[in-house]
Amino acid sequence: MKSIKRGQRMITLFILAFIAGMIVLVVKIQKESPFYMMHADTQILGNVYDRNGQVLFDGSGEGTYEKNYFIDVGNIIGDDKGQMTNTLVAANSEKLNNYSFSEGLVRGGKAAIYSTLDHYANRAVYDAYGGRKGCAIAYDYKTGEILVCVSLPSLDVTHGYDDIDSFETGTLISKNLYGTVPGSTQKVSTLIAALEIMGSDELFAKSYECTGEYINKSGDNIKCHNSYGHGMQNIQEAVENSCNPFFAQLVEDEDFPLDGIKNVYRKLGYAVNEDEKTKIEFDGLVSDKASTTLENSFDFDTQWGCIGQGDTLVSPLQLMMWQSAIANGTGKMTMPYLIDYCTDVEGKITDRAVTKHSKELFAASTAQTVRQILLTNGADNYSSSISGYTVAVKSGTAQVKHGEEENSLLAGFVDDPRNPIAFCIMIEDKNNGSITTEQIANVMLDALC
Amino acid sequence: MYKNGLSYFSSALFVLAAHAAMLLNVFANGKYENINDVIILSGAVLGLDIIYFIVMLFYKQMTYTIDFILLLILNMSVIFQSCFGGVHLSVKHFAMCIGALVTCRFGYLLCRSHKWIQEQKKYVYIGIGILILCILTLTGSRSMWIQIGSFSLQPSEFIKPLLVLACATSVMEQQNKHKVLCFNIVYENVILLGIIVLICGLQWWCRDLGSLPTFVGIYVCGLFFRLCYPKAKLSKKAIAGCIAVLAIAALAALKFAPSYVQDRLFVDIWNDKSGNGYQQSQALIAIAEGGWFGKGPGNGDLHNVFAYETDIVFSTICEEWGLLYALMMIFAILLMLSVPLINPPRSYFHATMAAGICAAFTVQMALNIFGSCNLIPFTGVTIPFISQGGSSMVTCGFLVGMLSATQSPVFKKPKKKKSSAKQGRASA
Repeated sequence: MKSIKRGQRMITLFILAFIAGMIVLVVKIQKESPFYMMHADTQILGNVYDRNGQVLFDGSGEGTYEKNYFIDVGNIIGDDKGQMTNTLVAANSEKLNNYSFSEGLVRGGKAAIYSTLDHYANRAVYDAYGGRKGCAIAYDYKTGEILVCVSLPSLDVTHGYDDIDSFETGTLISKNLYGTVPGSTQKVSTLIAALEIMGSDELFAKSYECTGEYINKSGDNIKCHNSYGHGMQNIQEAVENSCNPFFAQLVEDEDFPLDGIKNVYRKLGYAVNEDEKTKIEFDGLVSDKASTTLENSFDFDTQWGCIGQGDTLVSPLQLMMWQSAIANGTGKMTMPYLIDYCTDVEGKITDRAVTKHSKELFAASTAQTVRQILLTNGADNYSSSISGYTVAVKSGTAQVKHGEEENSLLAGFVDDPRNPIAFCIMIEDKNNGSITTEQIANVMLDALC
Repeated sequence: MYKNGLSYFSSALFVLAAHAAMLLNVFANGKYENINDVIILSGAVLGLDIIYFIVMLFYKQMTYTIDFILLLILNMSVIFQSCFGGVHLSVKHFAMCIGALVTCRFGYLLCRSHKWIQEQKKYVYIGIGILILCILTLTGSRSMWIQIGSFSLQPSEFIKPLLVLACATSVMEQQNKHKVLCFNIVYENVILLGIIVLICGLQWWCRDLGSLPTFVGIYVCGLFFRLCYPKAKLSKKAIAGCIAVLAIAALAALKFAPSYVQDRLFVDIWNDKSGNGYQQSQALIAIAEGGWFGKGPGNGDLHNVFAYETDIVFSTICEEWGLLYALMMIFAILLMLSVPLINPPRSYFHATMAAGICAAFTVQMALNIFGSCNLIPFTGVTIPFISQGGSSMVTCGFLVGMLSATQSPVFKKPKKKKSSAKQGRASA
């Protein structure tokens, strides 16, 4: 009899194992069916809205809009045509699909994404560029809501892709998410490293002379943008003057060891030398993390990297995020997000965003000191060009295309609890036009505040 | 006594009502151009139900539970298969279902007496040998199929019930150990090991590895029963040894599998949607489109995908009838396999047979359903009774007949009369 019971136990085991597998399967299907449906021939997509309820993407394609209505957000919101992959719609099409496992595809469903973008401000910034190329990004450094994300050239997705061959390079990507040479905005990272290693008192005690150029210990020439030189400067003056020789001498200083710099850079998120390059991810979008080469304190490339030229690359998004760690005074970045909340096919709110912070990148005391240095820089040099706002900023000029062109950058934040906005603005080939990053910043802040 | 929760009449009525409800759904929501298609389908299904109920009255059995569930499943499958892509009676599948019912009777009659089948076991081995020879001589090196005119047969399918029988009949031999060198060997264990190795080799040679896990499942199940016979307590060492051998064999098979197999085993279906992942990705999309209640009989699109009626039939049913219906269908098959839990077999032979059949069915269902839904590698086997395929249908019918036989009473050899026994002793 025991032998027969053993047989029954074996049958039970087989059946239970199979049932367990079926339960896993049903749960998997339930959970993943929206994903499967994104590969189906038929989809019924909902809309993407801005923070004020304006349409940024029309899922049905049936709405009528004035010409180039979506061009300011074309390459960050994107569409479902598959030409752009790193966009809000492409990365979140499951959330937009008016589908549920119990009801199937529902025409007239309420699936939608409510983004944090401000269409009005984006349009204002887009127009301010006047057809020039570049990008601008801004977010609320208290909450993480991305308010502006403009990249030029751009496209109006409603026009389709029939003339895709005539699109300019970079049209189909948001440059805010990709690495670019940061120019002197990089000096903020070097400043943070110096404060972390030496401390405020020791750093402020250091002063170096700028004669317009500096022959480093390897015999290479580090030139300053001011060929007459800045004379003897401390760190505050060097930041305000954006003095290259000062920072080259700082990197060579024995109190500022290269291993320490590397450590701080890595904490900031740089891939140093051969480190694996990772990504910043938010709402399904992917952004490059910073990278640089630091091999020898006396080496030109290393000093040039700490100044923000050469093969150093940082995305405008990351430059903006570092500003939040300074603005917050905590050394912790506020993590950005583009999706405020979503609604499902029945209109129920799902995926509501929550403010998150990174781990501590640098000490709060460092953040406070850098904050003060940048605020002083803003007050001394930008109070007239960015009028009406208390800003902390650092500008940069990045040499690209082997020095043939220069990009202009400006990273900073507004020191106002009512308008806690951090931003990064980049204009490509700055010498080929009259618009400046400060003007863009002014337009952007006027539209947002 | 066996438990019969429902009377013959109530059971028949339940089966009829279930099929009538499905046909009503076909009538109301199905895709058909001519109402006659629905009428023909209904006539075939309900007609077969009624004829089978009448025929079964002539068979005296302890319980009819398995027979009724089998009929329920078979006609469900006729309705499913007849609706794929549009309603019209699938005559071939219907005929195969009748074939399955017939082989089920054969299976029952052949296996109900364990004493009789024990005596005939040499024919089981002869049968296996003939089938292996058929595969070696009549099929190609890249196929398990024998083509006879417009019909095709898969002889490896017919090995399944014979392997179950061989495993069950060999259990009694476990006490006949023979000393060979320093080992105690049971000859039949060696023969069975040789058979399973040969089957695996053939499957490999024919490049049809889909059924391999089913054969291994039956063999391991039988091995388990042989290892612990007649001891009631299970040897943990034996179990650990079996698991280790299986794991090593599986790893070796994966490592040395031909490249075309590895491509299919480790394919990322969503990145290779138009290549090796086509069937599975389409199958999953179809399930998602079907939802809980389906698009309606005949309204699916998966019938445009290769093997929609066999390898990915679960998804085709999900698309047209919904996941709920598909789960009910699976539940019906599991219910049939669970009958020996309610009415326990009366002999160790029947217990071994029931477990072997359960192993064959569950492994095969798991391979089909979980494989087509990308939970495990996709191998391309059939779901018993639901997928189209003559060889599979009649074989599964036979297996269910064997399962039904496990509900038989124990047939004992007639005892000699006391007087003649006394006489014998006296003469001795």
